[in-house]
Amino acid sequence: MIKIVKESFDLENEFKNISSNKNGAYSFFLGTVRSDLSFSNTEIKGIYLECYEELAISQLEKIRLQALKKWDLSECLIIHRIGRLNLGEKIVLVITSSSHRSNSIEACEYVIDSLKIDVAFWKFHLLDNEEKEMVYQKNKDNEKMLKWREIIN
Amino acid sequence: MNITIKYFSWIRVKLKKSHDLIELDKAISFKELKNNLISKDPIFQEIFKDDSVKYFLNLNELNDNDRILNNGDVLAFLPPVTGG
Repeated sequence: MIKIVKESFDLENEFKNISSNKNGAYSFFLGTVRSDLSFSNTEIKGIYLECYEELAISQLEKIRLQALKKWDLSECLIIHRIGRLNLGEKIVLVITSSSHRSNSIEACEYVIDSLKIDVAFWKFHLLDNEEKEMVYQKNKDNEKMLKWREIIN
Repeated sequence: MNITIKYFSWIRVKLKKSHDLIELDKAISFKELKNNLISKDPIFQEIFKDDSVKYFLNLNELNDNDRILNNGDVLAFLPPVTGG
């Protein structure tokens, strides 16, 4: 299941949507907006998330199908929010489910690492004066993805 | 024929628009389209020089400058992504 939404989501409801007696393990990743400093060393007010929705959905579906197959998951839920988010708000949720924990844990990490490198979302810091400051891709995220590409291919 | 171009992130900010509808008399290649865009706005020179920018044609990554564009095609110019 994949959702790109403006509004927040409820963790318990999302868990209920994919829970099954067949599963012995669920792994959750929840990304939230943390306080950070802008390039000019001022506290950010929040973030703004831009998205190319049609492309992001097809990219997320590809990642989801890879995870389902590679780690023999029973389900993989990905929710990503867009628009203006305040500090502390939820950004992204990944839930993977499987019979045993090692599969769900590894798959969950793969999905969020892939999402950060391969899916059409762009983050901006929101500053005091209502201006937006672009957030740059991190080298460490790219390096981590190289490790996953060896595993998944 | 018409081609839509969608712009994202710093490209959208720099161009001050999220998309363009390009009207063409005949089918042209992606390379020819790039040259047309540069002649209209030098900002495109900066975009096309940036190796980190990816191009998508109808939701598929486009790496072929000689690819002929067809009526109704949707191109997208994507800087490195930063979701999650």
